[in-house]
Amino acid sequence: MKKRTVTYALLILSVLFPLFSNSSWITIGTTFVIYSIVSLSQDIVLGRAGMFDMGHAIYFGMGAYTTAILNSTYGVPVLLTIPFAVVIPVIFAVLLAAPIVHLKGDYLLVATLGFNIVFEQALKNNLFGITGGPNGIFGVGVPSIFGIEFSSQASIYYFSLFFLFLTLMIMNNLEASKTGRALHFINEDSLASETIGINTRFYKIFAFAISAALSGLAGVAFAVQYSTVSPEAFNFIQSVLFFTIVIVGGQSSIPGVLIGTFLMFVVPEIFREFATARYFVFGIAMILTMILRPKGIWPVKFGRIPKYIRH
Amino acid sequence: MDNDRLLIVEDVEVSYGNIQAVKGISFDVRKGEIVAILGANGAGKTTTLRAISGLHKIEKGSIRYKSFEITSVPAYKIVSIGISHAPEGRRIFGTLNVRENILLGAYTMQSIDDERLHWVYSLFPRLQERQNQLAGTLSGGEQQMLAIARALMSKPEMLLLDEPSLGLAPILVKTIFNVIKEINNAGVSVLLVEQNARLALQLADRAYVLEVGKIAISGSTKDLLSSTKVQEAYLGKKSNR
Repeated sequence: MKKRTVTYALLILSVLFPLFSNSSWITIGTTFVIYSIVSLSQDIVLGRAGMFDMGHAIYFGMGAYTTAILNSTYGVPVLLTIPFAVVIPVIFAVLLAAPIVHLKGDYLLVATLGFNIVFEQALKNNLFGITGGPNGIFGVGVPSIFGIEFSSQASIYYFSLFFLFLTLMIMNNLEASKTGRALHFINEDSLASETIGINTRFYKIFAFAISAALSGLAGVAFAVQYSTVSPEAFNFIQSVLFFTIVIVGGQSSIPGVLIGTFLMFVVPEIFREFATARYFVFGIAMILTMILRPKGIWPVKFGRIPKYIRH
Repeated sequence: MDNDRLLIVEDVEVSYGNIQAVKGISFDVRKGEIVAILGANGAGKTTTLRAISGLHKIEKGSIRYKSFEITSVPAYKIVSIGISHAPEGRRIFGTLNVRENILLGAYTMQSIDDERLHWVYSLFPRLQERQNQLAGTLSGGEQQMLAIARALMSKPEMLLLDEPSLGLAPILVKTIFNVIKEINNAGVSVLLVEQNARLALQLADRAYVLEVGKIAISGSTKDLLSSTKVQEAYLGKKSNR
């Protein structure tokens, strides 16, 4: 009961947030919302299915670039680019994941890292002449509906927040679904899951696909928020960041991942005046978290998880 | 005659990269039998089981179960056709409780059969006592029981057991072997992989002895127990000569 109250309070707070904040705080809030979506989607692959995906920025970037290219270069309205920005990352996720999901831990990590490096190079080298090379693409418009433009920072915040709510809804359903269960079992013991009749390969690829879809959505919001996309925003360092957020925050824990994102993207903004020293503090904080709370800041409570296989 | 052959393995070869672990073996399991595969570490016992249950691809040869050709059927489908595999090293879900682990064995079933659950609990009363305990906190022997219990929930006609005695106290091994006999008496055919040759030969009807990926000796366990070759190599008895 109490947990539910807190959840609703936070949801209401997130909706009311722009009303009592200035535009620079709303910008930070928007960033938080966008990166939360990516981190939560990373958690589906990393935290829930237990696959060490170190290339998650690819799907985020594909979503952002799809919207940027279609909107800026071809003049497609932002809202109409959304289906493409979701479907294209999903197709690539399935194609990239299919040959590597059988790899274990560190091997998968290196393979996905490799994909991310290839992806960044493809963007930088202006593949097919549509990615704009090292500078990326400028001048992404804002979404508009019935002639009303979402041009204010607050409206972009709400645009992104809508995606975050969608993501939270999907994550919530996943937790209670057969698929979510299967991912948990696969994470715990892939071989045992297979012997009880779970199609592990299918669910692993599915995890990549759904996670890429959500990252693609975040990508749309990113392109709108910054009205520009460039390769650096989606290189493997970003993937490392998403990976770290999930580990530091708490695997398969929604509050954990949100706290992780908050620490990585919002706290550094609060301590902006300390300039680069904040990352120094930050690195140490990461190390301490892993030593003191190896399961993350807000770990998920196992033992409670299986309530969904009640007989 | 051929009808009571439940599982037929023919000329199966399996490799890990360049290393051939199973070098062309053939054997069968008849309805209602307990068949043991014996052999030292690295003889290819576990690989053979994994090949049958689809966990490892076969290079050559064929595997048939009843009238199905199951040579290239993936592992997750094998359960639904009636073969259940309790893999080596127990492989239970430590973050779930005992009852949930057992119920998960019925993952492929439409619903959970209470009668079956009662039967499984009657085989392993200890698991019923601990049904709400987290599986990760069970002792080794109890985890092994749990692995077998889980494998039974899909109502298999054939049970593949990989080293059920591994790392267990002798008294627990005895308990588990007695239960395997009981399971067999209920009509489940058992293919058992074991290093503990003496116990396995006492339990099984027939046995195959693997040596570096090939079947070296085979026959009824009665014959094998009295064969000097088996006694010297696997039961540690010296001949008087």
